[in-house]
Amino acid sequence: MKMLDIALKDLLRYLRTAFLVVMMFVVPLLMTGIFYFAFGGQGSSAGFNVPVTRVQIVNLDRPPAQSSRLAFGEMLIEFLQHEKLATLLQVTIAPDGASAREAVKNRSAEVAVIIPANFTSAALTPGEGATITIVQDPARTLGPGIVKGLISQFVDGLVGAKIAASVVMEQFGQRGIAVQADTLQNVAVQYAAWAVAQGQSRGEGKNPALELEAPPRKVEPASEKTVVAGLIMTGMMLFFVFYTGAGTAESIIQEDEEGTLARLFTTPTLHSVILGGKFIGVFITIIVQLIVLLIASALAFGIHWGELPAVVLLSIGLVVAAAGFGVFVMSFVKNMRQAGPVVGGVLTLSGMVGGLFTTGIQNLPAAYETIQLLTPHGWALRGWKLALAGGGVSDVLLPALVMLAMGAVYFAVGAFLFRKRFA
Amino acid sequence: MNTQRAIEVQDLHKDYGEIHAVQGISFDVCTGEIFSLLGPNGAGKTTTLAMLSCLLEPTKGDALVMGHSIRHEPMAVKAAIGVIPQEIALYADLSARENLSFWGKMYGLRGTALRERVDEVLGIIGLADRQKGPVAKFSGGMKRRLNIGIGLLHKPQILFMDEPTVGIDPQSRRNILDSVKELNRQGMTILYTTHYMEEAQELSDHIAIMDQGKVIAYGTHEELVKIVGELDRIDLMISGESERVLEQWRATAGVHQASAEDKKVTLLVDDSNLVLPRLFEAAVRSGVRITAVEIAEPNLEAVFLHLTGRALRD
Repeated sequence: MKMLDIALKDLLRYLRTAFLVVMMFVVPLLMTGIFYFAFGGQGSSAGFNVPVTRVQIVNLDRPPAQSSRLAFGEMLIEFLQHEKLATLLQVTIAPDGASAREAVKNRSAEVAVIIPANFTSAALTPGEGATITIVQDPARTLGPGIVKGLISQFVDGLVGAKIAASVVMEQFGQRGIAVQADTLQNVAVQYAAWAVAQGQSRGEGKNPALELEAPPRKVEPASEKTVVAGLIMTGMMLFFVFYTGAGTAESIIQEDEEGTLARLFTTPTLHSVILGGKFIGVFITIIVQLIVLLIASALAFGIHWGELPAVVLLSIGLVVAAAGFGVFVMSFVKNMRQAGPVVGGVLTLSGMVGGLFTTGIQNLPAAYETIQLLTPHGWALRGWKLALAGGGVSDVLLPALVMLAMGAVYFAVGAFLFRKRFA
Repeated sequence: MNTQRAIEVQDLHKDYGEIHAVQGISFDVCTGEIFSLLGPNGAGKTTTLAMLSCLLEPTKGDALVMGHSIRHEPMAVKAAIGVIPQEIALYADLSARENLSFWGKMYGLRGTALRERVDEVLGIIGLADRQKGPVAKFSGGMKRRLNIGIGLLHKPQILFMDEPTVGIDPQSRRNILDSVKELNRQGMTILYTTHYMEEAQELSDHIAIMDQGKVIAYGTHEELVKIVGELDRIDLMISGESERVLEQWRATAGVHQASAEDKKVTLLVDDSNLVLPRLFEAAVRSGVRITAVEIAEPNLEAVFLHLTGRALRD
């Protein structure tokens, strides 16, 4: 209970410190807002564009002889090469899987898509399955996320077609009517064509099932702006969350200098409870900051942070990483005079190395993207980018686990040093 | 006076490497008394208090506080004492009530008991009407009062006060001294450290004079003054450098001790009537002018001078 009292007292103090509140909440949103309006411009479609993702497609699809009219592999390629997607994707055909994988490996493409030989067959045959293989550059998140989303949309249409064909066959069968293969193919083709058309037209802001009399609204540029805002906000949010981690851990040094820590030690409270309360204060403050920033940025800039389970998982990882890193850094600081330069210097440097200030820049050198992963900031950035691109729990699991592990190690070392100092 | 012992200090040592901050001190404090540790800065008073508060672990020796060992039962000791540190230790961004509530919780108070006690203490320290304002906007005196209030929250059996009047105005100082007396009148045992001889003399039932980590004298004010015996104390105000005449005065017949602070020189002499003319002669020879003379009864300052050859303020 006393531990929580100390933590809540710390939280109250932080929230009453104007400088900390500005650094925790206002600056990250302000910085993102500046970029959002400077590059996106309200009501303007010009400016910042999502970079084109280079995609290599290998079409191994061999449709069955009786369904020669249907070649879903080719339809998928046509879908991805549609002129509406030209600003997002640059699709080229690769001869085989090995060359497509090699292209991703040597970074001449961001994504390789391998369509299996039984793709059409599986779409038409009940009980048969097929898997499209997507190979992506591990350092890229946004482009591969877009490709995955588009392919999922296409496959959803095929699944619907398959269900539609099955239903037709079943209904006719119950009435004793034999259904010709051509009829089934027609049903499937018409459904698939409708589904794909629906998917494409979604990008134009209208649903073919509805006739809207209002003038068509172009939502694509706003979406791009949101993507850019999401990337910048991610960098800002991560930097200032790590800043808060160190800033709140700094309160241990501050209380030591102000004499309140020594006074706490004269109360009938165990040292471990006092330090534990201080550490919990760091965690709680970061959690509050993160929740506010996620919600405020979603409301202000329309950022969709991703699937809730993935966001929760990443938030847990980020809180542990930022708190652990903050406690670790501050455990080496002797006094408040050192604290300012150390917090500023270490966090700026680690933020730069972790890529937090270059979130809007694409095609960074491979070496830099590897170096980013030496820091918890780099892993946090990777995880949040994946979530932004629509990644699920399985996609963000690795970055989240690495953040948790790094944070736990940093925290253990920092807590050990603090305990040793104040034992 | 109650002879039951509230504190028993037994051969307490504290070393910091080669520095011996406290060197084997022993004394007892009886229940219900005001006991002062008197000594110059660096004498070891605060270190002693820190050990008795279980903030520092003794290098050697032990002490019993309300029968609990500071080495083996620190939680019991901490529950029995209230500590008022020398430096103001408050959360400036919280209000007086929030500060008291938080510290009350650290002493285990909760709910209604906490709220009522906070109200009581706010009344005692005279901050009831300012309880909601941030402490950062308080005057130095108000902060001192709140600093003391925190130490009273859990109604401790013993109150440790570490130089509570350092750096404050005379009126606030008077208020604090009166509060100490009132708390003691209500039955609280008080261990008070100071380097102001007047405070120790006014407040204390017993005094331990500390110097360089040792207790060099211990007793009531009257007992301590007797150490000086029949000596007279002469305070001289001079114009000019005291160094020019101090050595001559120390060598003058009948002078036992002499110490100087700025323009004031204090001497312990056998018979002031006989010694004073000699002091004037030496001053003339040294080119120093005596501007004021005061002959007084020996006090704790004189005791310290007698025992150490230095002024208490040195």
